[in-house]
Amino acid sequence: MKKPFTPRVRRKHVGGYRPRIDGAEKAAGKARYIDDLTTPLHIPGLAYAKVLRSPYPRARIRRLDTRKAAALPGVLGVLTYQDPEVAALKPTSAGWTDGVDTVSYDKMMWGAFRDRRVLGDYACWAGDEVGAVVAAESEQLAEQALRLLEVDWEKLPFVLEPEEAMRPGAPVLHPEIAPTNVLPADPVGGPDVFVVKGDAEAELARAEVVVEGSCAHHNATQCSLDPWCCVVEWTDALLTVWSNAYEADQTRTHLSEMLGLPLHKVRVVSPYVGGQFGRGDTGDQPFFLFTALLARKVGRPVKFKHTRRESFHDGRQPAVFHARVGARRDGTITAMTFESLGNAGAHADHTMFALKFAPLEVAEVAFAHIPHIRIGSRAVYTDKMPACMMRGVGNSQFNLSLGHMLDLLAERLGVDPVELALKNFGHEWEGLPNRSLTAVLRAGAERLGWREKRHAPGQGPAFEGTKKRGVGFSFHPAWHAEWQEVRRGEVQVALTLNPDCTVNLDAASVETGTGSNTCNVLGCAEALACLGIGPADIRWEPVVDTQVNVKDCVQTDSAVAFLQSEVLAVAAGELRQRLCERAAPALGRPAAELEVVDGRVRVRAEPARGVAVRELLRRAPLTPIRVHSSRPPLAEKTGVPFIATFAEVEVDTATGRTQVLRLVVVNDCGTVMYASGAEAQQIGGQCMGMGEALTEEIIYDRATGVPLNFNWIDYKIPTLADMPDIEPVLLEVWRGGGEYGACGIGEGTVTCAPRAILNAIHNAIGKRLDAIPVKPEKVLAALGKA
Amino acid sequence: MAKAVKGSRTAKKKTTTKTPVRRPGVKRAKAPARREPAARRWIELRVNGRVHALEVGRDLQPSTTLAVLLRERLGFTGLKIACDEGACGGCTVLLDGQAVLSCMLLAVEAHGHEIVTVEGLPADDPVIQAFAEQSEPGHGTALQCGYCTPGFVMTARALLDENPAPSLAEVKEALGGNICRCGCYQGIAQAVLHAAEKLAARRAQGVKS
Repeated sequence: MKKPFTPRVRRKHVGGYRPRIDGAEKAAGKARYIDDLTTPLHIPGLAYAKVLRSPYPRARIRRLDTRKAAALPGVLGVLTYQDPEVAALKPTSAGWTDGVDTVSYDKMMWGAFRDRRVLGDYACWAGDEVGAVVAAESEQLAEQALRLLEVDWEKLPFVLEPEEAMRPGAPVLHPEIAPTNVLPADPVGGPDVFVVKGDAEAELARAEVVVEGSCAHHNATQCSLDPWCCVVEWTDALLTVWSNAYEADQTRTHLSEMLGLPLHKVRVVSPYVGGQFGRGDTGDQPFFLFTALLARKVGRPVKFKHTRRESFHDGRQPAVFHARVGARRDGTITAMTFESLGNAGAHADHTMFALKFAPLEVAEVAFAHIPHIRIGSRAVYTDKMPACMMRGVGNSQFNLSLGHMLDLLAERLGVDPVELALKNFGHEWEGLPNRSLTAVLRAGAERLGWREKRHAPGQGPAFEGTKKRGVGFSFHPAWHAEWQEVRRGEVQVALTLNPDCTVNLDAASVETGTGSNTCNVLGCAEALACLGIGPADIRWEPVVDTQVNVKDCVQTDSAVAFLQSEVLAVAAGELRQRLCERAAPALGRPAAELEVVDGRVRVRAEPARGVAVRELLRRAPLTPIRVHSSRPPLAEKTGVPFIATFAEVEVDTATGRTQVLRLVVVNDCGTVMYASGAEAQQIGGQCMGMGEALTEEIIYDRATGVPLNFNWIDYKIPTLADMPDIEPVLLEVWRGGGEYGACGIGEGTVTCAPRAILNAIHNAIGKRLDAIPVKPEKVLAALGKA
Repeated sequence: MAKAVKGSRTAKKKTTTKTPVRRPGVKRAKAPARREPAARRWIELRVNGRVHALEVGRDLQPSTTLAVLLRERLGFTGLKIACDEGACGGCTVLLDGQAVLSCMLLAVEAHGHEIVTVEGLPADDPVIQAFAEQSEPGHGTALQCGYCTPGFVMTARALLDENPAPSLAEVKEALGGNICRCGCYQGIAQAVLHAAEKLAARRAQGVKS
């Protein structure tokens, strides 16, 4: 059956298969999320906000009359773009930070693209929040009030696709940012062509073999179950904001900077969050601001909860990649070019992160042995939904192209793409073949039965008359190793050792489901094992409160799984030192001669002479020992490991339906911090990747520019009934720095699934499909049947 | 003893918008004991064994869904309103033993019926235990963010009440109307199979489940 992973170093707690620390609480429905903590039973006088949304893809409000809405009984107030406190807000972006660091307004990542007016009069996509927000005694009344707003819309011409938006004379979305719809180069993203190594054009001209191909990634969306929400309450002393964004401290900074409040007067509370996957990034969304201003205007606590349909309002940047690869006949790749054209939607937000940073990083860590490379990206404003981050940001789009080119070249050369990958890809810290990539691809191939199942494209046997099977894979460098996290500044933790030898662990991080909380408790137990305690003696607090906790470590890059445990190892050292100092008088030796082993503080030279930690702590006065540690992530460069997905599919050539039969997902993660959680992330990533590959897609009405399927009936997420057997494989081959030398894995697990499935479809039917999602009609068209 | 409803029927109902729930009127429960003057209309529902008498117009509106009433008025926040349109299963509760979507049922329609929410399951409920404990190699956990979990637990509970030893295929079909965006489906399926094993073990020991 399923094989457990083999740890490189056997540890007491870290790396184990065990239930999540929050498993019992969540299974029993006792875990509390924002909506559970902010009912009228919790917050007397709670009012509800609803915001006006543009019904048109581009429009300006000529005139807004709020009188009827304001007169509706139960309506508490209306805030509009004409209110001075709204008009005074600085233009902003929802892409202040990728989440790695916490930044001020001045240092926001995409300061060149401050194209958002909070509650302005100009709408740039059908769904844009503009003009007015109302507060009422109930959500229904607030909705009713919205319908009573008299809005005189000036409808403006719009563009939906980059090609239209780039045509001369196309209506420009943000003339204050860019004279055309093409996003200009900026100091962060750099020029359009951002990787130039050697001379790719010249090399392609003389290469023995050249392959060329395009593929398109679509507008997937995060679909976190927990609807986007914030609740704002003002008191004289404090602005309190409950939030389900995934960065509490950045949310606090955002509110402070935009509203001109000192940080100590802004409190952000983030309980458990029902899934994130990057939605809305890090608390820089404008809705926090207009909800706060509305709450101040009406003098009541105000809840702004997005409906399910509104919770769709963020996603992945659609992009088309065109690539060329040149190689020698022996399979040595000599040149690669990638050019992408991205659809930024109505606001730039994190589009250039997706289009530039991800390929830049992949080129650095995986293309080091390829002499000639050129990568360029352009993004274009259109009147579609904007996008921040989505799990696997940028990498998902880029991998769709990378895996495509590898498969194309292998087919042209008549070689196994696994061997072709090993021959060419790796980072500069070691030669070829790369150890991690070798281990990952060998394991995936073996578990799937790659050699036995692979056949010439379309040449396999038929099943049940019309069904054809095939296999495919895709690989990617993993992110992020510790050295890549240095921008975080310091990672903070605090430990309180209570007089009964239990521990309160303050490793603040908004728990979005990643399981980093269990990793932290296991890391803490590992570091404090010398005290004779285990995970059950450690309490991790699920609610992050900026008034109480250390700075939260953001769930971006899946790196919380190890970053805080690395600092806990340091904190545990400080705690041991404090215990030795406390025991020193009783043992009659200086602290430096003492050690903590097996639940005792003892004299190093005379192990029999010592005192039990529990007894030491119980001696009056009962003062807990508290240590607080901060440490920047290690900067020592250690390369990165690799990940891969191998897929087996069955395509019905009569109906065009693709069924995924099996997925094998392989992660080399340095050190597995929590095996059950890591495997859950691997499996979950395949579900999301499979959805993106086959069924998920935001569909717009081309005539009106209105998105049509912001609901889970028409935007089809895989369910249990759709899921194939998924085999998670964890490896520990590469090693980073520090105590554990781990890297984040959860975010990356979604990256390779779409391309693996598409390559498997090609192997099954002998036709290449260039654009996801691969719905039956595309398969039938490829087969010449539609 | 729970009323018979096929797991597959439960699943099918949950994936269509037209008739997402069994309408309680079909199987008429006992009329409410208390009769009020026509101007003051009351509903009574038994939630987790306790009867709640509520006044329409004061405690709830005619348009209030059962999900909102349970969460915002009665404090049963275990169920989640993730879509509010019958598409995800996060708000699943038992109504007279059957899994229903409480976001698709008006609170007044639940009048006279018996509701069980996740809070009403015993602390040692084998389904809750199995979801909490799921961790064996190869399947991951049965939950990550946990937002969908109470809905899955209640759907699984209804399935096992009807079919105490389901096959993997039956589990997949019965739970096919619930969405877990974290994608823990493999762990969820295992947890339901483990819950069935726990139930069988309890039955063998003569313990009531």
